[in-house]
Amino acid sequence: MKASKLIWIAQLIVVVILGQTLFFKFTDSPETVELFSRLGMGAFGYKLIGSLELVACLLLLIPGVIPWGALLGWGLMTGAVIAHVTEIGFEGPMGQLGTMAIVAWLLCALIMYVRRSEMPLLRCINRNEKNELNS
Amino acid sequence: MPSSLSVDLHKVSKSVNLAIPVLFVLFLGAGIYLSFYFHFLTVTFLFLTLLNIFYQHVQTDHTILRNFGLLGQARYILESIGPEMRQYLFANDLEERPFSREERSEVYRKAKNVDSASSFGSQREFDTSEMKVRHSMFPTPADALQPYSVTYGEERGLDSAYTIKHPIMISAMSYGALGSNAVRSLARGAKHAEIPMNTGEGGYPKYHLMEGCDLIFQLGTAKFGVRTADGHLDEAKLAEIAAQPAVKMVEIKFSQGAKPGKGGLLPKEKITDEIAELRGVSKDQDVVSPPSHIECDTVENTVKFIAKVQTVSALPTGFKLCVGNIMEFEALVVEMKRQEVFPDFITVDGAEGGTGAAPKAFLDGVGMPLAPGLHAVNAMLKKHGVRDRMKLNASGKLVSPGRQIMAMALGADAIYSARGFMLSLGCIQALQCGNNTCPIGITTHDPELQKGLVIESRAPRIANYVHNAEHDLEELLRATGCRSFSELTEANLYIPPNTLIRDPQLDAVLHAQAS
Repeated sequence: MKASKLIWIAQLIVVVILGQTLFFKFTDSPETVELFSRLGMGAFGYKLIGSLELVACLLLLIPGVIPWGALLGWGLMTGAVIAHVTEIGFEGPMGQLGTMAIVAWLLCALIMYVRRSEMPLLRCINRNEKNELNS
Repeated sequence: MPSSLSVDLHKVSKSVNLAIPVLFVLFLGAGIYLSFYFHFLTVTFLFLTLLNIFYQHVQTDHTILRNFGLLGQARYILESIGPEMRQYLFANDLEERPFSREERSEVYRKAKNVDSASSFGSQREFDTSEMKVRHSMFPTPADALQPYSVTYGEERGLDSAYTIKHPIMISAMSYGALGSNAVRSLARGAKHAEIPMNTGEGGYPKYHLMEGCDLIFQLGTAKFGVRTADGHLDEAKLAEIAAQPAVKMVEIKFSQGAKPGKGGLLPKEKITDEIAELRGVSKDQDVVSPPSHIECDTVENTVKFIAKVQTVSALPTGFKLCVGNIMEFEALVVEMKRQEVFPDFITVDGAEGGTGAAPKAFLDGVGMPLAPGLHAVNAMLKKHGVRDRMKLNASGKLVSPGRQIMAMALGADAIYSARGFMLSLGCIQALQCGNNTCPIGITTHDPELQKGLVIESRAPRIANYVHNAEHDLEELLRATGCRSFSELTEANLYIPPNTLIRDPQLDAVLHAQAS
């Protein structure tokens, strides 16, 4: 593994951020139902998102498939950020959720970048640092 | 000539690269105004847009990706599965290298004890560029055949003279080049088939010894297992290995056909902790053996070294080489006569010989092929009247009985094959031996890949291959009208006139004054 311990900390933070919403999503909590109804998504919607977040959490912890978990997490968080920006805003409790979504979004991108040699589509971005020195 | 339906890949990829961000914006709008579920696609196309920006404008290593974007990855994907596609879909029966599908198929069938008779006619050229066996109008009856028996060391009257009863032996493949499961499968198969196995130059033959077969210990130029710190021969260690009851002969390796003039090569990907310890090397560089034995810097010292190994091991001892310069070989023979020291055998390896890893220039372009090399060695020994002081082994793509009997007619007493046995184990010619990724688990130390190679089920294949090849060899021998393999000579071969075994250097030497 080329990634250092720091990246595992980033992975764990993302797992916590994604994971702590799972309880709310899978128990049909009122906050979740209300939030997702503002997006026009019902129970199917948040259970689907919740399942995908669960998969992302698992992938982020299994060596070998971590960048795929980061990719999935990044995708889900992009959706979350879009939701905050376009529909649900950042006031009140949405501010906290929105901030966490942005943090997870950035960390997932970072994890993908650091672990790019483990992902087929991203392996070619390996030598960017050296190229910037030359150009 | 452009026609109305031709595809311009550059234009196609430009359209795709334009479409991707456009679709991102479209789905973003759809997600905002129509249904949030569209954002699954928004996210996907955002990722692809960013990826394409990286490919086309940021990275500079891959020109195809800079010019074609995402679709350019198709080239790399297809390239990486190219060898498999060619082997499975596009290559004909004679095209693949080093062994065509037809050649490999014969070995596979012999190893599985399936009849390998072919139908309709040969796929060869028959344009008089190929060597053929001359058959006799009066084939030998089965009961007139003399059983095969070759005894190494009988010329010197050794107590430890070693007799083989089958004409085929397993040639040198080191533990390091092969994984432990492969070594043990071969060794166990050799025990069943009652043939000896060459240990290769990997040092102490730990895995070979586990199965109880006869071994020929190879002394490579790096002298793994029997070396002093500075690369000289450690006589005590050699004596200790030679004293093992399973070790029957010693073979000094001067050169091999795959990389003549260069030492052995084990890529660093294949150096496990165990190998680093067994060979005494570090794990982070390729192991490159020296190109020659440090003691063998002159012809005189070379012969002295042979004598020393013979004395220390007290076993039949010979050497292996790929023929390069005929004059040098003649000088060696002359020196052997002068010192009255003769190897008990000489193994002639053709330049077409195989290897786990070798620089391409050496693999392709250095050394004499087996037919002229063997012919030259045989002729040179006869010219100096010493052919009967030793045996000749031949190796170099000798996997099928057709080629094996030709080698015997050219002067070989016994046949070595390495890749023939690898094919019997199940090798599919993936050509990945040096990468530690052998898909069959033979030339790799990756435990996940070696798991596929089960010793108990592979060892019988070795015995089947030997048994069936020997059967074919006997039938070929009977067809020539000879009663034993030792009666075969070049007169039993059709050798096309201006090809194959005539070497100008040899002709010049043979016509010079005999020394």
